[in-house]
Amino acid sequence: MSTVTVKVNVNGTPRTIEVESRTSLADLLRDRVRLTGTHLGCEQGVCGSCTVLMDGLPVRSCLTLAASCDGAEVVTVEGLDDADAHRLRQHFSTEGALQCGFCTSGMLVTGYELVRRRTEMDRDQVACALAGNICRCTGYNGIIRAVQKANDDGMAVDDLT
Amino acid sequence: MRQEPRLRRNGVGARRPRHEDERHLHGRGKFVADLDLPGVQEVAFLRSQVAHGRLLAVTKPEGIDESRIWTAEDLAPFALPLTATSTLPGFRAAPLPNLAEGKVRYVGEPVALAMAGSRAEAEDLAALIDVDIEALPAAVHIENLTDPDSPRVHDEWPDNIFATTQGTVGDVDVAAAEAAVSITREYKLNRQAVVPLETRAVAAHYDRNIDQLVVWSSTQTPHMLRDMLAELLNIEGRRLRVIAPDMGGGFGAKCSIYPEEVALAAIALQVTHPVRWIEDRWEAMVATTQARDHAYRITAHASADGRLLGVEADIRVNAGAYSVHPWTATMDASMSAAMIPGPYLLENYRFTTHSLASNKAPLGPYRGVARPGACFAIERTIDDLAHELGLEPWEMRVRNMVTPDLMPFTSIARKVYDSGNYPEAVRRATQLMDHDEWRRRQADRPVSGRRRLGIGYASFTEQTAHGCIEWASRGLAITIGKEGARLVLDSTGAFTLYVGIKSHGQGLETTLGQVISEVFDIDPASVTVIHGDTALTPRGDGTFASRSMVMAGGASFGAASQLAEKVLAIGADLLKVDASTLSFTDGKVVGETGGISLSQLAREFLFTPDHVPNVDGGLEATYFYQPEVQTGAFTYATHAAVVEVDLDTGEVDLLDYGVVEDCGTVVNPLIVDGQIIGGVAQGLGSALLEELVYDDDGQPKSTSFLDYLLPGPVEVPELKIEHMETPSPYTVFGMKGAGEGGAIAPPAAVANAVTDALREFGALINETPVTPERVWQALQVADRERNDA
Ligand code: FES
Ligand code: FES
Repeated sequence: MSTVTVKVNVNGTPRTIEVESRTSLADLLRDRVRLTGTHLGCEQGVCGSCTVLMDGLPVRSCLTLAASCDGAEVVTVEGLDDADAHRLRQHFSTEGALQCGFCTSGMLVTGYELVRRRTEMDRDQVACALAGNICRCTGYNGIIRAVQKANDDGMAVDDLT
Repeated sequence: MRQEPRLRRNGVGARRPRHEDERHLHGRGKFVADLDLPGVQEVAFLRSQVAHGRLLAVTKPEGIDESRIWTAEDLAPFALPLTATSTLPGFRAAPLPNLAEGKVRYVGEPVALAMAGSRAEAEDLAALIDVDIEALPAAVHIENLTDPDSPRVHDEWPDNIFATTQGTVGDVDVAAAEAAVSITREYKLNRQAVVPLETRAVAAHYDRNIDQLVVWSSTQTPHMLRDMLAELLNIEGRRLRVIAPDMGGGFGAKCSIYPEEVALAAIALQVTHPVRWIEDRWEAMVATTQARDHAYRITAHASADGRLLGVEADIRVNAGAYSVHPWTATMDASMSAAMIPGPYLLENYRFTTHSLASNKAPLGPYRGVARPGACFAIERTIDDLAHELGLEPWEMRVRNMVTPDLMPFTSIARKVYDSGNYPEAVRRATQLMDHDEWRRRQADRPVSGRRRLGIGYASFTEQTAHGCIEWASRGLAITIGKEGARLVLDSTGAFTLYVGIKSHGQGLETTLGQVISEVFDIDPASVTVIHGDTALTPRGDGTFASRSMVMAGGASFGAASQLAEKVLAIGADLLKVDASTLSFTDGKVVGETGGISLSQLAREFLFTPDHVPNVDGGLEATYFYQPEVQTGAFTYATHAAVVEVDLDTGEVDLLDYGVVEDCGTVVNPLIVDGQIIGGVAQGLGSALLEELVYDDDGQPKSTSFLDYLLPGPVEVPELKIEHMETPSPYTVFGMKGAGEGGAIAPPAAVANAVTDALREFGALINETPVTPERVWQALQVADRERNDA
């Protein structure tokens, strides 16, 4: 089995990791960096629970080859720690946006990127923007409210630091 | 048994964010796949690709370390197959093989397994195993399973029938003779996958130092799994420990005992390293227990003034290839027969059930179990009767429901409906939805337009938290019905609660903390709740049948009350007052003249027990709860859906959805609403989207999320919810279960709404999911019938 060496920055820490060529970014993160907050719900690119940020944009880590991440900056749920992430988590908790927690990492990462866009969004727009993420527990009402509230909060402070 | 909640700030009734959230919001949950197991070998199963066939040979590749591949022959000496039995007369048992032998009976049935350092390598290895199967014609569709020439799933059986039951109460024929209107309808609820987002997952390791086999499984029933593994591996229970860590949902898919669990546990005893299997999504779609696949023929009779005089039900369930333990293949049919009378005052009822075997994956529990089917059958029928009689469907419901003055009421199926106001839930639902306004808008739609509006209702009773006798009445060999809890107060004055129940995502760490808070007036977040570990917790059956809050909550309250009594006795001794003058306030024991904090009290008692010589040792209590009424506590609800239907495409848009429900005392509104919304979302999946399609050869055609459609954020509207909160007279705090109700009514409510939208054409929506194609077909059929007439 051929291998490749990947230089990738994960949550601010630069790493050099040798993996089998067929390794996905999700497996690299989970098995090699031991960041198990990124979950695998389908490995078919549909459920969104494996979503991470790659150079600032959400990607499905189950369908992303680790080899294609050479030189990239990857942020996982464990690496979200600014004021937007804090507000998002707060609203997730008070709005009932999580139950089992399995989809939650992907929802947070997707929601975080939305909130960072600083664009006004109504309920339908938030729902559409989250349409690539499946939650089997909550029925989405709480998730949509939480993301919308965090977005409104972000718009109010408009501080992207 | 009934205890009034004392309305503590943080106790029963408080809307509190969940204690579980913190770890999940930081990606720190620990699921089976996340466990760090040094030296672990990952397992890949090789599964049958044909639905029905003779297994002629399974050949291992040459030159490969033999111990990395296991066939049925290798496994047989170490593990027995599980045979689910039933006490129903005539029930035919079908042993569930751990790895197939002789025959394969569904696509996805495990045949062999391989293990390696990574799952990818294990799959490479499994692909080298040669399996020779002679394919046979398959028994697939519910309509054909009892045909005389149908292939037989089990060669030694004369047909494909697991069991048949029937029953009669009253006299349906007399009812039929008196009736002003009688209708007959056929309904079908197609097969579904359960789809917890975390698939099944098992790991096992034999710790030789302490002679303990540890099995980690994403299971709703850790104690039941421990017991059954001990039997099947033929080892003593004391050597077995089952741990269910964080779980990504279960909804019934994870409360049967599975061959993969048995195989991994057995193999772990034979090897020197841990083994682990994480189900992939394809496996989850073909090999995890599935749900529904019901067919009904209902004949119902009503009087001119809209009274339901009698119901006849013929119920058929395609239960798949095997019976799973402990539920058996008859679970759906027998439960459906008992639930068809629903919330109604029905005096004449006759039913027959057939539980049928097929070359599909075994049927198991899924949120609501048979109730979505039973609800669909009776509620679609009520609507059509109302239409025949020129009544509003909601009005027909109100006229026939059990009224509050009759409570507690024993139903025709001998279930005790404990409390509540069923007709009021219907009336409130019409107000919640603004019924008259929708009727007005409906009437305003131009006849020439191509979009129609419809409003539909569905009511049900939800049996929750039932006891041993109820399970026995359904033929279960293992009669579930008691839950244990142990509460420990440590020397720092902090509580740890150990419960036999398993929380698989529903927030029991929070709600059980609230129960403890209710007794001791402490911050619920300061209670550590330990669940899902058979070595630590008192026995419990697990989380299913909407039983967890009522039963584990009842057990926790029982343990807390016993411990409270002891703590007060200690307080009395230390404060030199009478215990009856003391109470709990804000983490302290207080009396008229002074008080003592729980931490001070605990230290005194535990470090210097000689200071309190009159109280027996130990600051803990264990309590086992069982329901006072064996048929459980009955939650009930009325759901309502508003839809817009496109006549040209058959597409259904859900415009609004509302729920009026009564699950008794609500322990935490945030969590209960979450259960309802989540349940409704799943029910909307059943109603509109989800279908496991099998072709005539028994090949599953919808095995990924690309072709098995789940409700997403756009498909679920913001729900309207109203609670009625009539406490049950039979449970602690008056709680009733709330786990499943949300999922029961949506198929019926949506089908009624779509049928309502299409009344002018006479198109009836009698099959789920209500896809655009089915709506369009129903319109064509109605059109043909009109033309023929
Ligand atoms: S696991 Fe990547 S999209 Fe589902
Ligand atoms: S919280 Fe369980 S899948 Fe979303």
